[in-house]
Amino acid sequence: MMKVLFKKEVLENWRNKKWIWVPLVFILLAIMDPITNYYLPDILESVGGLEGGAVIELPTFSPADAIMMSVSQYSTLGVLVIVLLSMGIISGERKSGVIELVLVKPVSYTKFVLAKWLSLLLLVFAAFIIGMMASWYYTNILYGEITFSMLLAVIFYYGLWLLFVCTVSIFFNTVTQSPGIVAFATIGTTAGISLVTSLLGIRLAWSPTNLSVYIQELLVTGDVSSELMYTTIISIVLIALILLASIYRFNRTFIRRSQ
Amino acid sequence: MTILSVSNLAKQFNNTYAVKDLAYQFTPHQCIALIGPNGAGKTTTLQMIAGLLQPTSGEIIFDKHKSIDRRTLIGYLPQQPVFYSWMTGSEFLVYSGQLGGLTKTASRKRSAELLDITGISEAKNKRIGNYSGGMKQRLGIAQAIIHQPKLLMLDEPVSSLDPIGRREVLTLLEQLKTEMTVLFSTHILSDADEISDELILLRKGEMIESGKMKDLRQKYQTTKITLQFLENQAFYQKKVAALPHVTRTLLERDTVQVIATNIETARQEILQQAVDEKWPLLAFKLEQATLEEMFMKAVNDA
Repeated sequence: MMKVLFKKEVLENWRNKKWIWVPLVFILLAIMDPITNYYLPDILESVGGLEGGAVIELPTFSPADAIMMSVSQYSTLGVLVIVLLSMGIISGERKSGVIELVLVKPVSYTKFVLAKWLSLLLLVFAAFIIGMMASWYYTNILYGEITFSMLLAVIFYYGLWLLFVCTVSIFFNTVTQSPGIVAFATIGTTAGISLVTSLLGIRLAWSPTNLSVYIQELLVTGDVSSELMYTTIISIVLIALILLASIYRFNRTFIRRSQ
Repeated sequence: MTILSVSNLAKQFNNTYAVKDLAYQFTPHQCIALIGPNGAGKTTTLQMIAGLLQPTSGEIIFDKHKSIDRRTLIGYLPQQPVFYSWMTGSEFLVYSGQLGGLTKTASRKRSAELLDITGISEAKNKRIGNYSGGMKQRLGIAQAIIHQPKLLMLDEPVSSLDPIGRREVLTLLEQLKTEMTVLFSTHILSDADEISDELILLRKGEMIESGKMKDLRQKYQTTKITLQFLENQAFYQKKVAALPHVTRTLLERDTVQVIATNIETARQEILQQAVDEKWPLLAFKLEQATLEEMFMKAVNDA
């Protein structure tokens, strides 16, 4: 049953071209900053307009900085793309009413939510991994070496943050029938967590939004810090709890007693 | 023998009851019409039985199938079915069948059959987004019966169709009755009258009449006299109304409808007076009142 529901989602994402544009957007986001920063001196020179004597001090970037440029794009625009992708994944079906024809069949509500969640993860992670590979490729060419195992570590730890965003969006999908409210609430929640984390500083050291901070340290030092470890554990626990809450909410909304 | 019993079923929305104290025993292979004016609670009732809405109180029990998910036994067609418009008709049916518990192969086979039965097999590989209203309605019926349910429920299945589509759907429902129990809602009495064996009449969420069609016909059987005059229908209506045994008169287009306590005596009185006063009588007709009278009476009086 799960497989049937999941396959339908994957097919739908294929039919509405999400399998094409989402990976393309993620590649674009990943390579945009590393490439423009590398060629910035040349661009400035060709644009001209500067007196011969003017000297512009441009910062030099390390390979770790270059990879982090991609990560920071994902933290803003990448999250936005995920929210746009997922805002109607369940709520839209409730709003249009098509969900009625699915839920009058003997379908498990839990499996329904899980299939939606997994299909979203498949698409987002495929795009994210492809994007990071592209970023890694250009970083290695333009800035210097980042090892493959380090790339995998970045993908793993930053992937947790994206997983968190996807799960929050699924949760709001089970709460409201309006895709707009889902998008607003998801962005609000992730932005709110970031804000609170930066305000409270050290007291919220293990907040999921700090993952990117610790990833930067990891890239510089090469060691997985204890903060990163704890943040990972906290993130996984939070994701599991939000997922359970979504399943619970959805079951509650469509309570059916078989007898 | 019953297949489904509903007892004390109620649904409350913000302090008002959409459905109240509904109780009914459904017999297999019957066609039951759920009838009532708009807002009577028909859709709410169907949604509760289908498991889309949790009743505030009451029980819905499928006899002999107590331990299984009752959705396996139910096929449901909402009033305005919405499909995945990016799927083809055939894809949607196969998907529905799989959700209903069929294997992919079995679902494909059954889909092909149903596309034939419902007459949309030429459009099976077209996107549902391009289907007409009538085609969507047929696809809706096909998805409802794909897993061979014991109870088929349809919410206003014919009210949005043209006369030909309506005829076809009613005929299809009559055929399906041999395989399952059919429960459909409508606000048009003639649809119910035509194909149903039993009737549940709802008004403001309450069941005000129910039972076998033939019993109800007997119970509400009244005879009425239809009169038509050459001119001045309203003038003669007053005269007829003044007669001692006439209980009610009604001016309907250019005829006068007469309901009497004792139809024999009323007939004598009317004819006598017509002769005495030389009424310009065009037509005089004794008729059996249809269920329409019952419907109107039940809806207005209660």
